[in-house]
Amino acid sequence: MAIAGLVVTAIVAFILVVLFISWFSNPPFGWGNAPAQPIGFPHTVHAGSVEEGGHAIQCEFCHRNVTSGAAATVPAVEVCVICHKQVNGSNVTTDAVAPETLINIQRVLDKHAEERPIDWERVHRVPDHVRFVHEAHIRFLTQGEERTVTLPIGDEKPMNLPVTTAEACSVCHGDVAHMEEVQPQDGQSLKMGTCLDCHRENNVSTDCTICHK
Amino acid sequence: MPNAEHPHKWGMVIDLDKCTGCQACVVACQAENNIPINTKDYFLQRRAYEWIRIERYWEGEYPNIKARFMPVLCQHCENAPCEPVCPVYATYHNEEGLNVQVYNRCVGTRYCINNCPYQVRMFNYWHPNWPARLENQLNPDVTVRTRGITEKCTFCVQRIRRGEIEVEARGGQRLNDERIAGGNYDPACVQACPTNALMFGDLEDQGTAIKPYFDDVNAHPGHGEHDRETRGYRLLEEMNTRPSVIYLKKIDQYPLKGGH
Repeated sequence: MAIAGLVVTAIVAFILVVLFISWFSNPPFGWGNAPAQPIGFPHTVHAGSVEEGGHAIQCEFCHRNVTSGAAATVPAVEVCVICHKQVNGSNVTTDAVAPETLINIQRVLDKHAEERPIDWERVHRVPDHVRFVHEAHIRFLTQGEERTVTLPIGDEKPMNLPVTTAEACSVCHGDVAHMEEVQPQDGQSLKMGTCLDCHRENNVSTDCTICHK
Repeated sequence: MPNAEHPHKWGMVIDLDKCTGCQACVVACQAENNIPINTKDYFLQRRAYEWIRIERYWEGEYPNIKARFMPVLCQHCENAPCEPVCPVYATYHNEEGLNVQVYNRCVGTRYCINNCPYQVRMFNYWHPNWPARLENQLNPDVTVRTRGITEKCTFCVQRIRRGEIEVEARGGQRLNDERIAGGNYDPACVQACPTNALMFGDLEDQGTAIKPYFDDVNAHPGHGEHDRETRGYRLLEEMNTRPSVIYLKKIDQYPLKGGH
C-alpha cells in the first residue's frame, strides 16, 4: 500500500510540475527571463530621455511599422547604420563610453558590411494562431477625444487618453526606455484573458475571428 | 473593428452562367489560406483539401454532351447543421453571419464534417507540409492548421478584418461593396474570378449588388421557387439550412438536342 501511495504521489507531483512549468515558463506569459540578445542593445541609451543620458529616439523611428501595420517590426541593420555610420569606434573614444559598447557597435557595422541581418531574439511573442494588430491599438490609445480609461494591464491606474505613442507602447511592453535589457514586466502578461478583459472594458468585439483567423 | 450596434452580414452570390470552371478560385484560395499542396496520393485517398472546389457534372451522352461547373465553398448557413454537433463549441455562428471554426478548440471529432450536407469541411489527416521554398509564401495573416483538426472556408475573414481596420483608420467609414473592391478586401476566390462569377457583399448594406438576389430567394422560399424573379436558388434548399451563398441558374442558350 505504502508503495502504491508513493507512486500515485510521484505521478501527481510530476503532472503538477509539468503543468506548472508549461504555464509559467515562457517569457511573455510567465516568470521566465527573455533570451539573451546576440548584440547588447541598451534601450536606455537610445530611447531614454536626454536628462538621463539617453538620446530620446522615438519608438516609431526604429519600429517603423508600428503606427501603420500589424507588426511593429524590428529595424533593418540600415536603420542602425543611419546613426552608427558616424557614432562608432573611429569617432568615439573609450574615454566617453565603455569598450564593450564600441565592440557592439562594430559588430552592427560588420553585419551591415556583410549584408546580413542581426538575429534578434524575440521577447514579446504571441502564439502563431493569434494576430495582433499594433496599428489599431496604438490608434485607440493615441487618437480620439479626451477620455479616462482603466486598462486591466500593468499598474491598472486610470489613464487619460489620448497619450503619446511612447506611452501607448509602454501599456503592454513596460517602460522600455528604462530597460537595459527588454524584459516582460509584472502584470503585463500577454495571455488571452488580458486581451479579453481589455476588449470587454472598452466595448470592443470579443468575437474569436478578431484575433484568430 | 466590427460595429457592435449594426453588424455586417456577409453573403455571396455565385453566377453559374458566368462560371467557366477554370479553377482560378481554387488556386487563389489555396495560396491565400495556407492550404497544403494536394498530391496525387491525397486525391486517391479522397482526402484532398479544398476550401472551395469546382464540382463538375456531365449532362447528356457522348457526343451530345455538356460539362457543367459549380464552385462549392462553405455556405455559411444560418441554420448550420455543423454547429450544434460540435462537442467543444469549436464552430459557432458569429454576429456577422459567418460560420467560424476555432482551430484551437477543435479536438477533431469530425462530427461537423459528417453533418455538413455540402461536404465543405476538411479534416487535416496529415501534418501540413510544403516544399521548403514555398514556406516563404505562407500568408502570415492565416493560421497554419495542425494535424487532427477540422478547417473550412472562412470567407477570408482575415481580409475582412484588415478591411475594417484600414477603412476605420481612414475616417471611420463602414465597409461596403465599393470599399471592399477598392481595397481588395474581397475573399481571394472572388478577387481571382476572371469572369466575376462570384460576388461578395454585406446584406446589411442597402446598396449592395447581392441584396436583390437574397431578397428574392427569401421572399419565395422552398416551393415558391418558380415565382422567383431572379435566377437565384440555394443548394439543398429543402434542408432549410439557409445558406449565405446563393447560386444563379445557368441560362442555356444552346440546349442539348432532345432536352435533358
